[in-house]
Amino acid sequence: MSPSRRDILKAQAAGVAALAANISLPAAAQPVAGGVEALKIQWSKAPCRFCGTGCGVMVGVKEGRVVATHGDVLAEVNRGLNCVKGYFLSKIMYGGDRLTRPLLRKKNGAYAKDGEFTPVSWDEAFDVMAEQAKRVLKEKGPTAIGMFGSGQWTIWEGYTATKLMRAGLRSNNLDPNARHCMASAAYAFMRTFGMDEPMGCYDDFEATDAFVLWGSNMAEMHPILWTRVADRRLGNPHVKVAVLSTFTHRSSDLADIPIVFKPGTDLAILNYIANHIIATGRVNKDFVRDHTAFVRGATEIGYGLREDDPREVAARKAKDVAATEPIDFDAYAAFVKDYTLDKVSKLSGVEPGFLEQLAELYADPQRKVVSFWTMGFNQHVRGVWANQLVYNLHLLTGKISEPGNSPFSLTGQPSACGTAREVGTFAHRLPADMTVVNPKHREHAEEIWRIPHGIIPEKPGYHAVEQDRMLRDGKLNFYWIQVNNNLQASPNNTHEAYPGYRNPENFVVVSDAYPTVTAMAADLILPAAMWVEKEGAYGNAERRTHFWHQLVQAPGEARSDLWQMMEFSKRFTTDEVWPADILDANPNYRGKSLFEVLFKNGNVDRFPVSELNPDYANNEAADFGFYVQKGLFEEYASFGRGHGHDLAPFDTYHQVRGLRWPVVDGKETRWRYREGLDPYVKPGKGVEFYGNADGRAKIIAVPYEPPAEVPDAEYDFWLVTGRVLEHWHSGSMTMRVPELFKAFPGARCFMHAEDARKRGLNQGAEVRVISRRGEMRTRIETRGRNRMPEGVVFVPWFDASQLINKTTLDATDPISKQTDFKKCAVKIVPV
Amino acid sequence: MPDVRHISSAVVIAFPHRCDEVAARLDALPDTEVHYVQDGKIVVVLEGATTGEVGSRLAAIGLMDGVLAANLVFEQLDIQEDPGVVP
Repeated sequence: MSPSRRDILKAQAAGVAALAANISLPAAAQPVAGGVEALKIQWSKAPCRFCGTGCGVMVGVKEGRVVATHGDVLAEVNRGLNCVKGYFLSKIMYGGDRLTRPLLRKKNGAYAKDGEFTPVSWDEAFDVMAEQAKRVLKEKGPTAIGMFGSGQWTIWEGYTATKLMRAGLRSNNLDPNARHCMASAAYAFMRTFGMDEPMGCYDDFEATDAFVLWGSNMAEMHPILWTRVADRRLGNPHVKVAVLSTFTHRSSDLADIPIVFKPGTDLAILNYIANHIIATGRVNKDFVRDHTAFVRGATEIGYGLREDDPREVAARKAKDVAATEPIDFDAYAAFVKDYTLDKVSKLSGVEPGFLEQLAELYADPQRKVVSFWTMGFNQHVRGVWANQLVYNLHLLTGKISEPGNSPFSLTGQPSACGTAREVGTFAHRLPADMTVVNPKHREHAEEIWRIPHGIIPEKPGYHAVEQDRMLRDGKLNFYWIQVNNNLQASPNNTHEAYPGYRNPENFVVVSDAYPTVTAMAADLILPAAMWVEKEGAYGNAERRTHFWHQLVQAPGEARSDLWQMMEFSKRFTTDEVWPADILDANPNYRGKSLFEVLFKNGNVDRFPVSELNPDYANNEAADFGFYVQKGLFEEYASFGRGHGHDLAPFDTYHQVRGLRWPVVDGKETRWRYREGLDPYVKPGKGVEFYGNADGRAKIIAVPYEPPAEVPDAEYDFWLVTGRVLEHWHSGSMTMRVPELFKAFPGARCFMHAEDARKRGLNQGAEVRVISRRGEMRTRIETRGRNRMPEGVVFVPWFDASQLINKTTLDATDPISKQTDFKKCAVKIVPV
Repeated sequence: MPDVRHISSAVVIAFPHRCDEVAARLDALPDTEVHYVQDGKIVVVLEGATTGEVGSRLAAIGLMDGVLAANLVFEQLDIQEDPGVVP
């Protein structure tokens, strides 16, 4: 009897999966190609649009609509695998409430802050927007203009934003929501290595002997990377996994060394491990002598709260929170000597045996170690310190910059690295790790941008949390938000964020694909094209730059963020926004539009539309008459080429599944700072941390300092916020996929059963989560994926109908200005 | 109405010592077949009338006791006027 057609299809599907899983197959079961092609679907490559892992997906288009996606077997990152969010990528663009027309608050036919959202033309939208921006510029100057973007911007969108804001409107009040996500990681890279982003890459996973997760629930947040970790662990019994967290979660299942510590005490654990390495004589002396330098950091640095907050007044003693002074190894050893096993065990609540096992993973010279961290480290009032303290361990032992030895900061957004960090959309940054405070850097940027000297302002702008505060205080009055749900993401949002949006002095514009909480609080909503509705580029956590083509048209009048910014720039002339003295000295710039000086500058517009791939649409090129993305990318790439940030030529990226920079002579770099692996290391150096002038990485002495707010008799729980497998960030896309919505429809408060029992709360009971700042209602979960220790609750933040950020504290790391969403005090009260 | 079925394959990673038990539980799920089991990896084929059905089942599998990770690999749409016959 011949098998049914369906049986054959199933055998094929199983065969492909087995290949992806490296399972050897009987010859008869090898998959045959062609099944999908038979359905007349056109397949193209793209990176996934969710997290920072950077999986390659194949996107299937039929009759102008994305109908399917599957893991790209040619993508090294995921090798054909696709997590559940990635599986539903084809649905994120087709939510029923997609925005298709600009919407302006109007009353009696004119813009009014208290008006109703009314559909308007793009012309009217831009007219009102420009009028408002010019009003604010006239009244208060460029420091009252601001923009908030994200690590979801494509590379050229972030680059356009930085040009438009800094060079066009002359404001550094540009920040990405990456500030809430990995600013601490970025600052720590700069402070330690003088260069941003990891030295290693995902290839480390298959070369290591131990994984240590410091505040990262990879099983839920980075499922594809977790699969590679699990594969390595299960296939190699000598490999160990340590998972550190403030509660037990899905990643803990794989842990050989599971550690639940008291919030904030990770700092002490890190210093204990350094002490253990030194006390047991396992310092890699040659490495430390040749490649490191010791410093002591300023202490008592406060909590990044408003300056008059009593907690800030009490805690902040340091004048310069980022200050460091040189010390030597002996001083450093004496400093960490205080962090004994006994003391740290008591402080952290972790059994001494587990702490010793953990310390041995780092200390044992025979064992290679990969350290991972995400928000547990970064969203931390001492996030920069936490990052640096883990570098200390890798540097003391020389376990860095080689296959399998890797301190590895993971990212939450698809282009947190590629756009927010590399392009430099932070309030103080320029492309390629340069900063606005450095006059040489400004001058260099002005030359590449072909604008007069003196245009880029030197003072760093407002960072994310400061933007909220300044909106509320009426000092930031024109504000444009793109590709993120800022209001839902902001800490303490009832007091510090929402009032700023509705402040009558302010005009707030939100570009989004969906009517998010943020969009609904704005004055003007601009409908945005998303993901494969435009040509794009992202950079993932391992320095991989990855491109995609426009594959479909956005619905209605929705337009890309790139188009929106470029089109808006046409409404300003240099005479309106640049200082008269600079124009007097450079009269040939007079009377030009910002569009002309920023984009039709002979550089960005140098690639004609004839260079487009005729198989794909490109709306921006069609509208502006040149290959916009290529021009922007090539101009941007000139910042980094020859400076350790080399990117390949534009066209190459449309062919390959991404390349890890620096790309030198057509070759990507998998491990930086080691001779033979990184072309920038000078011959004979062995290892060279060339981001620092002396070629040395810094080992820093900083102490444990307590969190900004700790539970007391009234507010008796620690509140930790975060994400879940099914939803990404604020849920503005995943909550619109019916299946993901159904799988996890609403936020819940995960709590220890004993804590619930003591309060007379049953599983599923409705409660109020109350902090000193606000409250929200949710239901109790004592079972399920997160198992809480007593005294700690976890509430995810994806749910727009249950805003946990009404309760969180707007404390930040004083160095990175990144919010601590993991530690504040709440009480739980039955409804 | 043509008969539309989504046929998807997934790789499930389980603890090796619990692999057989997990595989048995997977096999007992509706429209779910275990095709290969090797070294803690289980290849399953999931069938459903919609991607929603398939994806929801995968999300549930990912959170099952003993399962470390569950990821989809490949999907085919089988559209047939007259199912069951080899073309």
